[in-house]
Amino acid sequence: MDAAFLRNFAIIAHIDHGKSTLADRLLELTGSVTAREMQAQVLDSMDLERERGITIKAHAVRMLYNALDGQTYQLNLIDTPGHVDFSYEVSRSLASCEGALLIVDASQGVEAQTLANSYLAINNGLEIIPVINKIDLPSADIPRTKEMIEGAVGLDASNAVLISAKTGQGVPDVLEAIVKRIPPPKGDPEKRLQALIFDSWFDSYRGVIVLVRVFQGTLRKGQKIRLMWNGKVLDVEALGIQCPKPVEIEELKAGEVGFLVANIKTVSDAKIGDTITDDTNPAIEPLPGFEEIKPMVFAGLYTVDAHEHTQLREALEKLRLNDSSFFFEPESSVALGFGFRCGFLGLLHMEIIQERLEREFNLSLITTAPGVRYKIYKTDGEMVEVDNPSRWLNPSEIAKIEEPVILATILTQPEYVGGILALVEEKRGRQKTFEYVTSNRVMLHYELPLNEIVLDFYDRLKSVSRGYASLDYHLADYWESPMVKLDILVAGEPVDALSIIVHRDFAYERGKALVSKMRELIPRQMFEVAIQASIGAKIIARETVHAIRKNVLAKCYGGDITRKRKLLEKQKEGKRRMKRIGRVDIPQEAFLAVLKVGEDSN
Amino acid sequence: MPLGLYISVPFCRTKCTYCNFASDVFSKAVFQRYVDRICNDIAQAPITAEQMGGLADRTVDSVYFGGGTPTILDSSQLERLFVMIWQNFDVQAAAEITVECAPGTLTASVIELFRRHCVNRVSLGVQSFVDQEASAVGRLHNRSTVLDDITRLRDAGITNLNLDLIAGLPHQTAQSWDFSLEQVIATKAPHVSVYMLEVDDESRLGRELIAGGTKYHAHFVPDEDLTANMYETACDRLRAAGIHQYEISNFARTGFESRHNLKYWTRQPYLGFGVDAHSMLTSRDAAVRFSTPDTLEQYVAGASFNHNLIDLEAALEETFFLGLRLNRGVDLDQVAHEFDLRRLIPIIDELINDALLERQGSVIRLTARGRLLSNEVFERFLAVAK
Repeated sequence: MDAAFLRNFAIIAHIDHGKSTLADRLLELTGSVTAREMQAQVLDSMDLERERGITIKAHAVRMLYNALDGQTYQLNLIDTPGHVDFSYEVSRSLASCEGALLIVDASQGVEAQTLANSYLAINNGLEIIPVINKIDLPSADIPRTKEMIEGAVGLDASNAVLISAKTGQGVPDVLEAIVKRIPPPKGDPEKRLQALIFDSWFDSYRGVIVLVRVFQGTLRKGQKIRLMWNGKVLDVEALGIQCPKPVEIEELKAGEVGFLVANIKTVSDAKIGDTITDDTNPAIEPLPGFEEIKPMVFAGLYTVDAHEHTQLREALEKLRLNDSSFFFEPESSVALGFGFRCGFLGLLHMEIIQERLEREFNLSLITTAPGVRYKIYKTDGEMVEVDNPSRWLNPSEIAKIEEPVILATILTQPEYVGGILALVEEKRGRQKTFEYVTSNRVMLHYELPLNEIVLDFYDRLKSVSRGYASLDYHLADYWESPMVKLDILVAGEPVDALSIIVHRDFAYERGKALVSKMRELIPRQMFEVAIQASIGAKIIARETVHAIRKNVLAKCYGGDITRKRKLLEKQKEGKRRMKRIGRVDIPQEAFLAVLKVGEDSN
Repeated sequence: MPLGLYISVPFCRTKCTYCNFASDVFSKAVFQRYVDRICNDIAQAPITAEQMGGLADRTVDSVYFGGGTPTILDSSQLERLFVMIWQNFDVQAAAEITVECAPGTLTASVIELFRRHCVNRVSLGVQSFVDQEASAVGRLHNRSTVLDDITRLRDAGITNLNLDLIAGLPHQTAQSWDFSLEQVIATKAPHVSVYMLEVDDESRLGRELIAGGTKYHAHFVPDEDLTANMYETACDRLRAAGIHQYEISNFARTGFESRHNLKYWTRQPYLGFGVDAHSMLTSRDAAVRFSTPDTLEQYVAGASFNHNLIDLEAALEETFFLGLRLNRGVDLDQVAHEFDLRRLIPIIDELINDALLERQGSVIRLTARGRLLSNEVFERFLAVAK
């Protein structure tokens, strides 16, 4: 097809604003999916995606549309993840498009996440079509929604398309707008090949499947290709498009989007953002924008049952086949045994990995407190990066410490600003901007140490704003900060899995809260147990778990000895499931105390 | 060896909030079917014993009606149960025959029935002599009801009385506990049982306590330390009054120790009848335990017995976790005739070292602290959980 009739577009939307429903309608209207095949949220195929209403992996679906001008157009919908944790993937997906639909819920307005992705789209030079959805709801406020789109995103909203994806009202106008307003892709099918990898996943039958957008030249089945960043040379075994069912084709020309199979063993060999070129006639330069993705959030993962350690490793390996952005390496803890230090793109990413491990691999996990990666400048001038409290340096070796700082965008309603400001101040935030984007919507920009975000910030933000605040962030800076390692000692023994890195000024409060939570969670033992928080050799907080006074079974219940035995066995088994540090039995949940400390302060 | 017989009557007029036993409030229509099945099981007892691989004597030296509230049954139903026992076993003339009673349920005709069937011991579920405490957990009696029942029983010649007390009830204080202890001593009852409130998810009060709520006066339950103190006070006071402790929960004047309860702790044979009733018999290998279904529906529907062979290892464990409940302790020399004790020696040494057990010659027994922490001690005698 002539490139003039191609349109590549993405959809930008906040969770629940109707992205998947609109995508479903578009597929229906273009006849790509028959009513019989229709299943809600065709594109989100993972259970987790459907349940949470989020998109984790990108998709690219080709539709053929007979427009009012009598021409048939090829529309490629590139469905992207929306969450901040995946902003690099989003940026590569957006780079594969010439336009984007910005969907805004007519009663909810613009949210922080939409804002961030809209800016990404604007920076990538995309034509953005505002689409106001759910106009059929009684609470819909179209003028105010337009005002917000103009005020917050800075787009002209006068020709926004008004729709109800649910009823189908206005959806044909969306198709027309795509054709009329989004420019066709540029690029010459005769030039040297440049194709962008914007997502990939592992298929157990075919190996890694790569989603590509061809910018220049033509990609053909059987062609010898080269991945420009990692230098690998491969044969194209298959090319295809999703309609949305996969259909194999012979070639993908400049401007087109599709998938490629080339005997790639792991997704880490087909990095998102890498450029594919022809091996014998390579392009001079790769496409711009490639970055090595680095994990931002780190935590230790352990199995509750030490015997499941091998299963955990296998599960992590399997997940990594499909997700090169998360990394893991073995670590061991005196308290928890053998586990893995894992790095994640962000908190949602961490939660998703955890949930998939528990769900798809049936593992029961203990996660240590999430933390960030610090830059430690040693007195001898060397710089080391440390993300694991157990690798923290001796204070005498440390000249200065730098911690990662994010720029957070928070959108909320004026009545919650007070609570939110108190929260971000408490979290060591520094205000950058504070503006009313409409009379009823405030946009805050704050610099915040990532370390303060990873523990309980989302939950606290949700609670102070009753859910009416949205958050987006990206790594912005490093601050020099006096961070210290806070240790927890149980009966005089340090429990490595409970150590955290904390700002010196907060160490005392955090230590106190932590030992008091631990006191609640550690059952009384046969002797008195001291729980202490310390920085180095200095004890900063202490609580005592008093010795157990009684554990007796009285009645004999008509000689039911079996019941007595069962209770004793259960008691013994309960102790076996606890972790023994020195002479103290510590239940699994005590290791999660670090995560729970914030809960009571709400 | 003579048998103990246990008849379970799991019916109550109201269910007490602390009750974690399989008793409940049922309609009277159920009673007849229930008694039918018990009578049938009594008649079948020799056959059942054989099927279970146990050796059952016909001689009986203790009969115990437990509950629930046995006296909730009609006189004719109780009569039938007694007659079945007389007809099917050789109950010795000196047998201990106990009925558990809720204070306030002892009508003249019930006491008369007791006399006719040689009931010589009555156990009264007093729990507290403080009326507020008794009513807070759903007991239907007050202090004067109890005293009145005691007088009437004695008048009828039943003088071997046990009174139950519970430490750790809602509203209880150190002072109110002292009052209950004074009262129980003043009755001159020769046997007293002292239990501590069990907090587990099998009772309404226990569940509420675990949930941290305020139903069933749960927020007025004394804490663990106070309850433990109450227990220690009880041991001291009762000893001073000549009622010595012979088992974790049981206290008696010399010669009034309950023969029936001792069977449980010394692994002597007994047969249980009724729902969730437990039996133990010696067998060729070691011993056998079996029990009836634990729900009333299954029981009256005629469901069969659960069966559990006690091998040598399990018998060894029982010898300790049951025998150590008794103040007289376990004689290692004696036990060594039957079992190989090598596995247990280091455990016993460690428990003595931790002052949970004490040793006198070849006898080991719980210390006062060990008695309050007896589950921690007993657990150690179990082989590593499978």
